[in-house]
Amino acid sequence: MMTDNGQLPKRALILRTVVLIVFVCLILRLGYIQLFDKRYDEMARNNFLRCEVKYPPRGEVFDRNGEYLVQSRECYDLMAVWRDMPKTGFDTARMCRITGSNIRKLRQAFANARMRPRVGVQIATYLSAEEKLQIDEMYVAGLYTVPRTVRQYPRKIGGNLLGEVCEVSANIIKRDDYYGVGDYIGITGLEAAYEKVLRGEKGLILRDIYARYGERDTVLQAAVPGQAIVCTIDAKLQQFAEELMDGKIGAVVAIEPSTGEILVMVSSPTFDPDKLVGRERSNNYMRLLNHSRQPLFNRAVKSEYPPGSTFKLVNGLIGLQEGVLTTHNIYPCNHGYNYGKIHVGCHEHSSPLGLHYAIATSCNAYFCYVFRNILENKKYRSVKDAYEVWYDYVRSFGFGDRLGSDFLGEKRGRVPTRESYDKLYRRSWNALTVLSLAIGQGELGCTPLQMANLAAIVANRGYYYIPHIVRSIEGRDSIDARFYEKHYTKVEPRHFEPIVEGMWRGVNTEGGTGRTACLAGYDVCGKTGTAQNPRGADHSTFISFAPRNNPRIAIAVYVEHGGFGASAAVPIASLIEEMYLTGEVKRDWLVDYVKNKQINYSRYGR
Amino acid sequence: MGGNRGGTTMFAGVDRIAVMLYAALTLVGLAAILSASWDETAANMFDMSHKYMKQAMWLGVAWFFGVVVLLLDGSIWHKFAYYAYALGILALVATLLLGREVNGAKAWFEFGSVRVQPMEFVKIAIALATARAMSEYSFSLSKAGDVFRIAVIILLPLGITILQNDTGSGLVLGSFLFVLYREGLNKWICIPILFIALLFIVSFFISPTVLLVALIAIFVLSEAMMNRRWRICVQYVAGLFLCSIVIKLVFDLVLPNGFEYYKSLLIATLLSLVVVLWYAYRHNLRNIYLSTAIFFLSMTFMPTSDYIFNSVLKPHQKDRIESFLGLTSDFNRDYNVNQSKIAIGSGGFFGKGYMQGTQIRYNFVPEKHTDFIFCTIGEEEGFVGAVIVLLLMGALILRIMGMGDRQQEPFGRVYCYCVAAILLFHTLVNVGMTMGIVPVMGIPLPFISYGGSSLVAFTILVFVAFALDASTRKGLPVYGIRR
Repeated sequence: MMTDNGQLPKRALILRTVVLIVFVCLILRLGYIQLFDKRYDEMARNNFLRCEVKYPPRGEVFDRNGEYLVQSRECYDLMAVWRDMPKTGFDTARMCRITGSNIRKLRQAFANARMRPRVGVQIATYLSAEEKLQIDEMYVAGLYTVPRTVRQYPRKIGGNLLGEVCEVSANIIKRDDYYGVGDYIGITGLEAAYEKVLRGEKGLILRDIYARYGERDTVLQAAVPGQAIVCTIDAKLQQFAEELMDGKIGAVVAIEPSTGEILVMVSSPTFDPDKLVGRERSNNYMRLLNHSRQPLFNRAVKSEYPPGSTFKLVNGLIGLQEGVLTTHNIYPCNHGYNYGKIHVGCHEHSSPLGLHYAIATSCNAYFCYVFRNILENKKYRSVKDAYEVWYDYVRSFGFGDRLGSDFLGEKRGRVPTRESYDKLYRRSWNALTVLSLAIGQGELGCTPLQMANLAAIVANRGYYYIPHIVRSIEGRDSIDARFYEKHYTKVEPRHFEPIVEGMWRGVNTEGGTGRTACLAGYDVCGKTGTAQNPRGADHSTFISFAPRNNPRIAIAVYVEHGGFGASAAVPIASLIEEMYLTGEVKRDWLVDYVKNKQINYSRYGR
Repeated sequence: MGGNRGGTTMFAGVDRIAVMLYAALTLVGLAAILSASWDETAANMFDMSHKYMKQAMWLGVAWFFGVVVLLLDGSIWHKFAYYAYALGILALVATLLLGREVNGAKAWFEFGSVRVQPMEFVKIAIALATARAMSEYSFSLSKAGDVFRIAVIILLPLGITILQNDTGSGLVLGSFLFVLYREGLNKWICIPILFIALLFIVSFFISPTVLLVALIAIFVLSEAMMNRRWRICVQYVAGLFLCSIVIKLVFDLVLPNGFEYYKSLLIATLLSLVVVLWYAYRHNLRNIYLSTAIFFLSMTFMPTSDYIFNSVLKPHQKDRIESFLGLTSDFNRDYNVNQSKIAIGSGGFFGKGYMQGTQIRYNFVPEKHTDFIFCTIGEEEGFVGAVIVLLLMGALILRIMGMGDRQQEPFGRVYCYCVAAILLFHTLVNVGMTMGIVPVMGIPLPFISYGGSSLVAFTILVFVAFALDASTRKGLPVYGIRR
């Protein structure tokens, strides 16, 4: 009812004001949350966008002839976002069947997912493409798969050499920003050494989880695939060497002397690298870890063995360089070396004898004389000073320190210093005290890699390249500069020829210790070793190179408790050389002999 | 009041602007429902199983009813107001006894696949009955008997909805205060009630003592303003607090563990009510009776105290009371409001575009067709679209208030204000709840929310106002002879 003058009554106006105030309040609130409060934009995006890591395929590894050593195979991780999952449940029994998991593990995984309901949590790993499709067919909301690559080894060789890839540990995640939960990392061997090359770069994708798969993806960061690596390994030779070493404990390392490239690196016993991939990984890993012969231990670079007689080469070279030994020196051997109470035994051979023959027959007495002459050289004020000179020579051959190969966890080996002897013998020691060094016994320890390197040094007549395992990396012109650098020993190249002659005679003449290694037309040179050790039968070792001129392969074979050098190490080295140099093995009888050779490893248990 | 007169004889005098505002709102609603329920994978987009197709059908039905209402003689509304009211109460009682329970509220009838909430329609009857009662010849809001009659008309259906566990819909009737104020109810009664409503909303955040003190302050102040007896009010307050302190001290001495001040204040207040009523009787101050009644009601209705709420009631009773108050202790409530805020907030100025709203599309918003339909508009059409919808609604409400003021007879005026009040309450609560400023009560946004019975009921509600307005403007008597 209007008032008489056409004005609205006061209360009608007040109520209109109330209505206006209500709407102004609503609009202000609307304006606040839509225009000023920017949080909601982000929250809305978080509702339906998911940041997914895009894993790059890991770089593949080829052998020196272009054959696959390691391939990458596609597999999938199953992830779950708890928030999006149906609360009514789903067919867990079927999921167990598909993922090959058991219900307890699955429940545990989903319990983890529940703790972090908004992010994707790994439920199962290593699903094949077929299993992934089966999961997709279940149409469970909140479940998705992430493509990964896992390793696959066509020849199943080089377990320790190539190394293994596994999920990163919490420690690594803490140390290195690059890695996140669920990432894979190479932890041993080649995979670890070239992790940064092989792994590539992870990508990041913003995915609209409600759109059709991939329809509205935003790539924040593209994944960069890992680079392929061409290895110096010869896959065929490696496999052959592993077959020969089967059942024996020890190591084989073969190097191309002219480049330092590692052709073969066997640590025996080895294992099938495929076993350490996939769902059975942890079980297999524990089995290998607890194996009495320790297959996971890479003996080729981590084992410090006494070099035995092979070390006589070094002493001979030092003697020649120091001038205390010439090719004309002749020493007697009366079933060994006797001085006072000291006796170093030797085997049956003609006496007296010269340098070439001493090397060929591996005479202990001869090198005891040589070693004493080195240490008791009048040039130096004392034996101890002379010992320091000797020590420096030995070190220049790459003993007593890491060679700097591309293997992580390479051992230094042992060459005792003057100080350590001072400590051991309370300063009172002389050449006789440390006489066992003359024949590569005593406190010496060398890795098979160092021994192969010694063979390469002799083959090169005085220098070596740091042994390495990678030939080239995809997209790079060269490998690390240190592998192109010649390392000369302190012994002049001219002094090597008599030693080479002795090694040649040791293989190619009557009475030589490595007769079995003789290959017609290839002038194989070699030096056997029979290393005494406190743990049982002697270790059998052999270092060799061939051909004598322009050598193509230098090799060191070490068979634990293999007895005489000639009985185990020589045939193995010879067969590998034959395979490498001629491309085939004609001496089937020798292969049978090696494969059938039984060695009793009581120390390792069964 | 620039309405369009004339036109066809059938719809002569109908306010075309108001009808257009109404039509615009229903079409906006249909568009929003289409967006919210669009299923791009569905085979047949015109299939009647789609929500938008159902709504379109109901829109047709609603318009049909609107036309029917306009065609009816304007006087029948006055004539049949009480019968409609009686029928409405019967329907509510029947629902209470025979109805179907949906979301815990027994407030629905089901006919085949159609679900009807009688309260939607009963609102019309209540508005009519209120209008009829208040347009009686000798009606005056200063007469206690008349106030009581109005109170019964409004509170009876409210009581039944509370029994139905559908308090949300019932609270709409609280908006009739709007009408009572327009018709002359003392503002010092209206203002305390508004304050109580405010306290009601925030009651869960403040301590019971503060709540009680606030209540006392509001009522004493309103009494003082009404009766201009400041002295006695100050004396009353002083006496009350002194008394409460004495009670506390006495109980502290008696009880070993001491006595909460809140309890002593409560006891003192309840005791003082006797004195207040005696005083009112002595000085013939009728309004005190009303205030005391409201005070007492608000004390009991509101969870004024943790004391009653936590120590006397068992947990399940507490839950029941919370849900009874419409503040359901629903586990997902906060989540829903949050998602609703996210949907609206992420709309920005121009919105994400029609049918492009991610939160709506991906079902983050609950009840996106019905109670939370405003989210669809807010997200997809942004600030601009949402403000336009609010402006349309506001314009319609003001237009209906204008119709009320144009009426020559109080019946039409009261009815129009009832309609405006109902629409205002629905809009405030519904839109407010989607933006998190009003507690969640399951009431729809008029004309826009999905639901046939609600759409038809609101249509009839406003078209009766349009019809009354049209009758006035055609110069016809609205209802025969005044008694």
